[in-house]
Amino acid sequence: MTDAVASSGFAGSDPARLKRRHRAEVRLRAYGIAALVFAGLSLIALMGSVVLSASEALRETYVTLPVELSAEVIDPDGTGDPNIIRRADFNGLTRDALRTRFPNATGRTERRALNELLSVGASFELADQAAANPSMIGQTMPVRMLASDTLDLYLKGAFGGLDSRQVDGTLSVTVDDDTAVLTSDADDFASLLAQARSSLRAQSDELRHQASLQNNGVEEFARRAEAAENEGAKTRALKQVEARTAKRDGLLAEADALLARADSTEGFEPLGENNASALIRAGGGWFKLTEVARDRVSADILVAPTGAISDWSLLINETPEANRKLTDTQIVWAEDLRDAGELETVFNTRFFTASDSREPELAGIWGAAVGSFWTMLVTFALAFPIGVLSAIYLEEFAPKNRLTALIEVNINNLAAVPSIIFGLLGLAVIIGFFGVPRSAPLAGGIVLALMTLPTIIIASRVSIAAVPPSIREAALGVGASRLQVAFHHVLPLSMPGILTGAIIGMARALGETAPLIMIGMVAFIVDVPDGVTDNATVLPVQVFRWADFPERAFESRTALAICVLLVFLIVMNALAVFLRKRFERRW
Amino acid sequence: MNDVTMMERPVTEAAEMTKPPKISASDVQVYYGDNHAIKDVNVEIEDHTVTAFIGPSGCGKSTFLRCINRMNDTIDIARMEGTILIDGHDIYARDVDPVQLRARVGMVFQKPNPFPKSIYDNVAYGPRIHGLAKTKADLDVIVEKSLRRGAIWDEVKDRLHAPGTGLSGGQQQRLCIARAVATEPEVLLMDEPCSALDPIATEMIENLISELRANFAVIIVTHSMQQAARVSQKTAYFHLGNLVEYDDTDRIFTNPQDPRTENYITGRIG
Repeated sequence: MTDAVASSGFAGSDPARLKRRHRAEVRLRAYGIAALVFAGLSLIALMGSVVLSASEALRETYVTLPVELSAEVIDPDGTGDPNIIRRADFNGLTRDALRTRFPNATGRTERRALNELLSVGASFELADQAAANPSMIGQTMPVRMLASDTLDLYLKGAFGGLDSRQVDGTLSVTVDDDTAVLTSDADDFASLLAQARSSLRAQSDELRHQASLQNNGVEEFARRAEAAENEGAKTRALKQVEARTAKRDGLLAEADALLARADSTEGFEPLGENNASALIRAGGGWFKLTEVARDRVSADILVAPTGAISDWSLLINETPEANRKLTDTQIVWAEDLRDAGELETVFNTRFFTASDSREPELAGIWGAAVGSFWTMLVTFALAFPIGVLSAIYLEEFAPKNRLTALIEVNINNLAAVPSIIFGLLGLAVIIGFFGVPRSAPLAGGIVLALMTLPTIIIASRVSIAAVPPSIREAALGVGASRLQVAFHHVLPLSMPGILTGAIIGMARALGETAPLIMIGMVAFIVDVPDGVTDNATVLPVQVFRWADFPERAFESRTALAICVLLVFLIVMNALAVFLRKRFERRW
Repeated sequence: MNDVTMMERPVTEAAEMTKPPKISASDVQVYYGDNHAIKDVNVEIEDHTVTAFIGPSGCGKSTFLRCINRMNDTIDIARMEGTILIDGHDIYARDVDPVQLRARVGMVFQKPNPFPKSIYDNVAYGPRIHGLAKTKADLDVIVEKSLRRGAIWDEVKDRLHAPGTGLSGGQQQRLCIARAVATEPEVLLMDEPCSALDPIATEMIENLISELRANFAVIIVTHSMQQAARVSQKTAYFHLGNLVEYDDTDRIFTNPQDPRTENYITGRIG
């Protein structure tokens, strides 16, 4: 089309100019598309990583074991009183169940490690079940118990899985107390040995590096001794030289020894806990490899073999034991439980119904969600009417003078004030002066209302100003008072815009953390708040707190809480868009 | 419809030739800030008459019209001096509530501006806020009567609850007229009611204006001299804020006294 015009002589004197302009337009469009694509990909990457991380928290693990609900322990007098039952030592019962399942966990440390497989919440839940249903007492019955966060994480692959290595030889086992020597007639341990040796070499290199650092010190002090101006300084420097030389030579000797071991072909080498763990499973037993030679290994017996050793497997966990919370022994128990079908992984409804907890497997979002609800209720109840009425007054009634201009400027400025300032105000005035309870949705709601007010006022004013003056004239013309004009005509017509502004303001308040931290809503609260004066926390603060916890299982729960918050925000914004579309008017 | 309301004024009054003027303005001055928009306007407007205000743009005819129902009060910078009497009562007296006044002096605007509500609610709004109907049935009667007076009843009687903004421009303007007469005003002010309409709709409105004369004193501001000639009995010519000439429409258009009027109606200025 443009070409035709150009050829017919309308291009002006300079067709190159026209071409340049067209190229510039095409370029601009390309930049725009590129920016959009980049933004879209970034968003997908961000949301993808959050959702991927959150999906881990959507499942939780249960261990089902037979528990002996001994009447002597729970309710020796047979009262059936729920309060007495609840006070009983269910913790001991669940532990006994684990010990019965794994009888060779005998030492104190081992027993503690065994107990770590179950959540501390498991015994409380069992106590609740027994209290609700006393007929259980006295029986031995399978009980579904919540697994600990570490066991749960292991099953989700957080601590590395057990990889099976191919083995060719026949295994023979020589047991000596709780260690054993395992021999294979094929070359099955060569790779492990190589691994151990390369680890020795690495250690040797590290020692050499330290020695070279010491050597630097030696040279430096030698130089200082040379340059020393008095006898005392010289002596001190020479002493340093001597000490450092000795240290350097010691390190070098050590490094040489390690290197010699790495190069020799005979003898056992330790695997060390900074290397990948190696386990052998044979005849129903588990061995943890400690030292390795070319054709045999020495190992700790984790679970004694019960039957004849016919076939065996060599299992490697690439994550070194020192780098994970679950020890090799615990992994062996977990694998045994899994093989016996005593583990099940189900949808994590607890996360959406429970409140905060220090134990990640027990922690949930419900308390924070209810806290957010109460806070938003207070915020809306305060900010919406005050904001809308202020906007109506300023737009419809207030005289246009310096004072109202000043107020307008200040409202616009308030919208840009950092939210933490409102938190300080809340701490000083609302809690400090008016004595509103700390950590309560009432205080948080008031602070967020102050923060949201400017947004609502500005949106409402814009929306009110957009109502055409002809409507006001029409109403005035039939004898409506200014109040009637404002409330019968202007307000209903501007309501979609006002609601949109209010919802967007509320969505911002829902995602606000900083001011609430100032007024103490960052506390650890286990109870679901019943009202606006109860202690409470809110969703974003919950996210903030969980992000701070060291337990790895909180990582995915934090991500899931972020997803919950995002869902709320998206729903609110969608509602705003819907209202705008639904009630949009064309004049 | 058998409930004849008390506001129904006897038509016999219209026949009296010696009746006092409905509206009487003397020495009216209007200022918009420093701008002296209306200067020394004295005029007497008769009941049951269509009075046309004509004149070039910015001559003050609309401003003067808006003085009659005190719509200028809503403009912060507008200031009015002089007196305007309706039926001998000063409408700018201290005890007069402009809101009540506007119920008695209806107004129709240049652009059709129905409320974005149903046709029924558009008409019923005025009677509702002034408490003119005690029951729903009363209100129905008022709405029907007003729509009939607006000459739009037949077109909308089947869709009273459809939005008023869905009507055509001419229908919307007639709806606005119906809305204005629903509060039983005595005076009907029309500020260029046909300037946004096509010729067919304009003709319908003009016919309606002639009918409305039976019940109201109608004042119409118009840019169209033909329209003034067609619908009005009296014409006032405004020029630069002054009321230059006020007389029977026939005389203004055939034998103007003032050269400025003559220039305007013969198309030499305007």
